[in-house]
Amino acid sequence: MLEARQLSLSISEFALLQNIDLQINPGKVTAILGPNGAGKTSLLRLLTGESLPSSGEVIFNGVPLSQWQPKQRAKILSVLPQGSQLNFPFTAREVVMMGRIPHATGLVKDADIVDAALNAVGGSYLDKRFYTQMSGGEKQRVQLARVLAQIWETDVSGDRFLILDEPTSAFDLAHQQLTLKIVRDFACQGVGVLMVIHDLNLAAGCADQLVVLNCGQIAAQGTPEAVLTTTMIQEVFNVDASIGVHPKTGSPLVIV
Amino acid sequence: MRRQSPFQFILIASLILVLALFLGLLSGAVDIHPSKLLGLFSLSNMDMDHRILQTIRLPRVLLAALAGACLASCGAIMQGLFRNPLADPSLIGVSSGASVGASCVIFFGGASLVGSGVGLPAITIGAFVGGLVATSVVYRLATSSTGTSVSTMLLAGIAITALAGATTSLFSFFADNEMLRRISLWQMGNLDGADWSRVATLALVVVPLMLVLPREGQALNAMLLGESEARHLGVAVERLKRRLILLTALGVGVAVAVSGVVAFVGLIVPHLVRLLIGPDHRYLIPGSAILGAALLLLADTAARTLMSPAELPTGVLTALLGAPFFVGLLLQQRQKRVG
Repeated sequence: MLEARQLSLSISEFALLQNIDLQINPGKVTAILGPNGAGKTSLLRLLTGESLPSSGEVIFNGVPLSQWQPKQRAKILSVLPQGSQLNFPFTAREVVMMGRIPHATGLVKDADIVDAALNAVGGSYLDKRFYTQMSGGEKQRVQLARVLAQIWETDVSGDRFLILDEPTSAFDLAHQQLTLKIVRDFACQGVGVLMVIHDLNLAAGCADQLVVLNCGQIAAQGTPEAVLTTTMIQEVFNVDASIGVHPKTGSPLVIV
Repeated sequence: MRRQSPFQFILIASLILVLALFLGLLSGAVDIHPSKLLGLFSLSNMDMDHRILQTIRLPRVLLAALAGACLASCGAIMQGLFRNPLADPSLIGVSSGASVGASCVIFFGGASLVGSGVGLPAITIGAFVGGLVATSVVYRLATSSTGTSVSTMLLAGIAITALAGATTSLFSFFADNEMLRRISLWQMGNLDGADWSRVATLALVVVPLMLVLPREGQALNAMLLGESEARHLGVAVERLKRRLILLTALGVGVAVAVSGVVAFVGLIVPHLVRLLIGPDHRYLIPGSAILGAALLLLADTAARTLMSPAELPTGVLTALLGAPFFVGLLLQQRQKRVG
């Protein structure tokens, strides 16, 4: 379990996050929602150990996150940041192969995992293509395949976690759906998934738990049905919306 | 652009290096017949050619090869660390700091050092110390409680380089004619002071460096994804940066100290190797080292023979040959992209 206990973060006396309590459970998908500047990315940085909280702590599989050896942690916690700075001509295969750096499973097995991960994101055709010559969506798929390859194996000790910062931002409709399906499949294998996402309906259709951040505090938390209300959307997003029901899945549908 | 297999490339580059070694040994102000190489290390047989080989040519080619390998592989490291294919080992201030150190020794040592036998070692030590001081200032400026910022280091490097350049200019301004000539010659980069003690000094640093650096290849690959991505892949990013900057400062510092500022090798060679075999540092670093050794050796041989018996400064030749070659490469690449 990945757990935030009373997390607060302030930078030069400006409080970015206040008293965040949060539990990410294995096998469940948790989505963080919130307007721009609500503290979503800051929270993700604290939960992945990128920055240290001003107070409170993050517990990862029973041990404070800061006490984990980087390499051990990387074997079961993989993170997809927003955007990518890679501007060297690696092939897609080489980029995905980097997801296997924390492991020592051997070239043959790693090659199989890379094939499978590329296939999962619908990117097998990218295999030998250069990353620098791909479209934005293709790059994001390759990066997604990389973080999937990092926690691909099921026979590791400890619960696996996948953390994604706006994984669908550069995707067309079909690839948005594909990403959410991959996320669900991983959750079904027992992986705990946490993602920041902007589209309320994508979140409602995919997540078990929604966490709404507003001004550095948790404004609402719970199942999509409980969280997505007209009052919450009015208060947090300042938008007058109606809530319907998805005709096929039955999950709540936000209509603006 | 199609890639070459890294193993094939390393094989070919090694062959070029071996050929360059022989060419360097045999040609010069006096051309030596290849058969003389056979008895190179026999002590009994001491004719003129053997003496030239043992005391002049062999240390010189070894010095060129070691310096080339060192500069090129440190260039590969810097380009990876800065995530910028145009980075150069001098970015962290080491070359300009070395210039200050060397000109300071030449200026204050003055006439007393010239021809006294301690002059050259003193300049070498001055350059090495200057390089390390400049780099540690750049590193300190870029490091805060949250770690080392690579972009701040780039800016600090530019500032320190400018400051060091001005200081060197001040020394040149107040220097007399003889000192001025020696300062400028040193800055052009020259291997003409090669002797066995220099080879040993350089080898002492470069050989361990060559054994250690390729091991960092995988971690440097992860760094190209971005620092946080590397951290999430289990790389201890801050420790890696500190180690690589220290190794580069040592490597380039000692190379510059024994050979002066040899331009362009650290920038061009890794760039060229990356174009040929791709950016994977596990092959890029050894590939750059071998090709760098071969190219600096060839350039130095050309510097010795083109206007023989006079010698051109090696650094001038690397830039003269390197720059047009690089431009040609860029043009060729652009054409491929268009066509």
